[in-house]
Amino acid sequence: MNKIIEVKNLTKEYKNIKAVDDLSFDVFEGEILGLLGPNGSGKSTTINSVLSLLKFSKGKIKIFGKEMKPDAYDIKAQIGVVFQEVSVFDELTVYDNIDYFCGLYINDKNIRKNYVEEAINLVGLENFKKFYPKQLSGGLLRRLNIACGIAHKPKIIFLDEPTVAVDPQSRNNILDGIKKLRDNGATIIYTTHYMEEVEILCDRVIILDKGSILAMGTCDELKELTAKSEKITIEVNDLENNIIDKIKKIRNVEDVKYENGILLVTYTKGKENLVHMVDFLKDNKINYSKIFSERPTLNDVFLELTGKELRD
Amino acid sequence: MFFHNFKYSLKTLLRNKSLIFWTFAFPLILGTLFYMTFSDISSKEKLNVIDIAIIDNEEFKNNNMLKYSFDVLSEDGSENQMFNTKYTDKDEANKLIEEDKIVGYLLIEENTPKIIVNKSGINQTIFKYVTEEVFQKGKMLENLDYSAMNQNIQEIMSSETVNLNNVTNDNLDYIMIEFYTLIAMACMYGSLFGMTSINYKMANISSVGKRVAISPTKKGTTILSSLMASFLLQLIGIVILFLYTIFVLHVDYGSHIEFVVLLAFVGSLAGQVLGVFVGSVFKVGENSKIGILIGIIMSCCFLAGMMGVMMKYVIDTNIPIINKLNPVNMITDGFYALYYYNTFDRYWFNIISLAIYSLILTTISFFVIRRQKYDSI
Repeated sequence: MNKIIEVKNLTKEYKNIKAVDDLSFDVFEGEILGLLGPNGSGKSTTINSVLSLLKFSKGKIKIFGKEMKPDAYDIKAQIGVVFQEVSVFDELTVYDNIDYFCGLYINDKNIRKNYVEEAINLVGLENFKKFYPKQLSGGLLRRLNIACGIAHKPKIIFLDEPTVAVDPQSRNNILDGIKKLRDNGATIIYTTHYMEEVEILCDRVIILDKGSILAMGTCDELKELTAKSEKITIEVNDLENNIIDKIKKIRNVEDVKYENGILLVTYTKGKENLVHMVDFLKDNKINYSKIFSERPTLNDVFLELTGKELRD
Repeated sequence: MFFHNFKYSLKTLLRNKSLIFWTFAFPLILGTLFYMTFSDISSKEKLNVIDIAIIDNEEFKNNNMLKYSFDVLSEDGSENQMFNTKYTDKDEANKLIEEDKIVGYLLIEENTPKIIVNKSGINQTIFKYVTEEVFQKGKMLENLDYSAMNQNIQEIMSSETVNLNNVTNDNLDYIMIEFYTLIAMACMYGSLFGMTSINYKMANISSVGKRVAISPTKKGTTILSSLMASFLLQLIGIVILFLYTIFVLHVDYGSHIEFVVLLAFVGSLAGQVLGVFVGSVFKVGENSKIGILIGIIMSCCFLAGMMGVMMKYVIDTNIPIINKLNPVNMITDGFYALYYYNTFDRYWFNIISLAIYSLILTTISFFVIRRQKYDSI
């Protein structure tokens, strides 16, 4: 795959505090790259540096093989950004806001009109074209914010926490829209601290903390980094102690807890753990009402790498 | 791209209720209040001949310029008569002033004219200005070639000294002074448009500014088109104010309308530039900037005499540098110059001062605005 963005040794310091510390990564054409990290981990600073809005202390940034600079207008013409804060004019209607920002990229009125309509449809604001931002709910505002950033059909889209403080319906709508953008060929850099979104959307993920990259790879690759592999939960009554001892001896089992009729078995790495557990229960004639398996999440990865939760 | 940005800048500014209130409605409301409050006072205090005294000491007698000028301006029955002058000594003058028979007296000591008054008012202010003007002209003449002066003294005096308009005509009205500062204030309030336009285009100030900054449109294009839109709106506001005051409040701006328009134009430009300066230099929120601007403008208006004509007199007398640097005073003083004097020296001095003031603020703002990357946003 083609490298669209190359970031090498990016460092940004604020008065001796490193907001971004020696970051290097590439973004490939057509992928959705997730930047995952808690608040203050350096996600927005990284994006603003890549966009040449922020001065940085060290490093090189190339987009489409050219150095990114404030006056690199040919590169800027192919970039769309959805900032974390809603960046629209309160004095303009939904349609006018999108038309204004699209007009900074597209001169032709007819083409722009089509693009604006498409953006409105993509984010589901067809019924709100003449509304002013103050008349919109938080979720609809976020959708408008996205439409303003992507209406000109950019090849690269930066989405900086676009779903913060959004209701579930709007969040689903936004995530669906992002998938459509990727399907239309856009390369997307998506920052968030919601691991569920990263797992749903992203082809690759960079986990950031305190301005440094902790890990990088696909979701599966990252989950491989954790020692814990799987958790199996079983609802079962009257379990004898000797059974618990037997479970502990099963291959790959790391820990077993039994409380209030819930048996929680934690595994280290291994395959077909659930199958082996079902066989064990059957062989020992243990009746259970429910059994399910949970794979480790990115939060587990983050917890293991940093000792804290993603949302701490 | 230029027109696109210009069009939407107009739209955003026109729909900003707070801006429209301060720049369009507030001056109209204030003008109406001035009219309602002062028109009655004005008619009661219509300026006629002002009773003054002059201490007839040797220094006055030797000052041909002042002597000749006050003779002409005190000529009984003349259409130029401005003063009813008593030539007397200091004790008698003090007695007259105590008895309220004169508004003040002129005493020349150590070749410096002093105006002694016992209260403030429009008549006292006029007395002071006339004296100051005549004295300055006299100084100017002293610097001329003496032989030439001797030859043409009468001619020069007649052309340079008695160059005041007939202050008893309808143009000179107490309310006019308030309207000059009102127009100056309206010119300065246009700074709110300039400030808002800059806010919307700077990545380190507003979130929409970030969006504009990452677009492929050149910064110069977006900022220039926005400022042109805001300047156009400001001029429309000033035109509305003029039309309202002329046709509704029946304010007479005199015969030099082209100079009035030029001064309002340059004043509006200065206002716009003040907004750009505050918008770009101060790194605070929009509401704080509005507070800063209104604070600056109202302070300037106060010092220029909006809340009391005597303030301008006090500042001009004691700390003249303040009003020399005060853009509101530059505008109001330009208007005074148009109405009170036939020559335009003082008018052009104020126009040039406003231009220099605008140039300095523009230069500072330019160096702030031209930055393309920021330390923090």
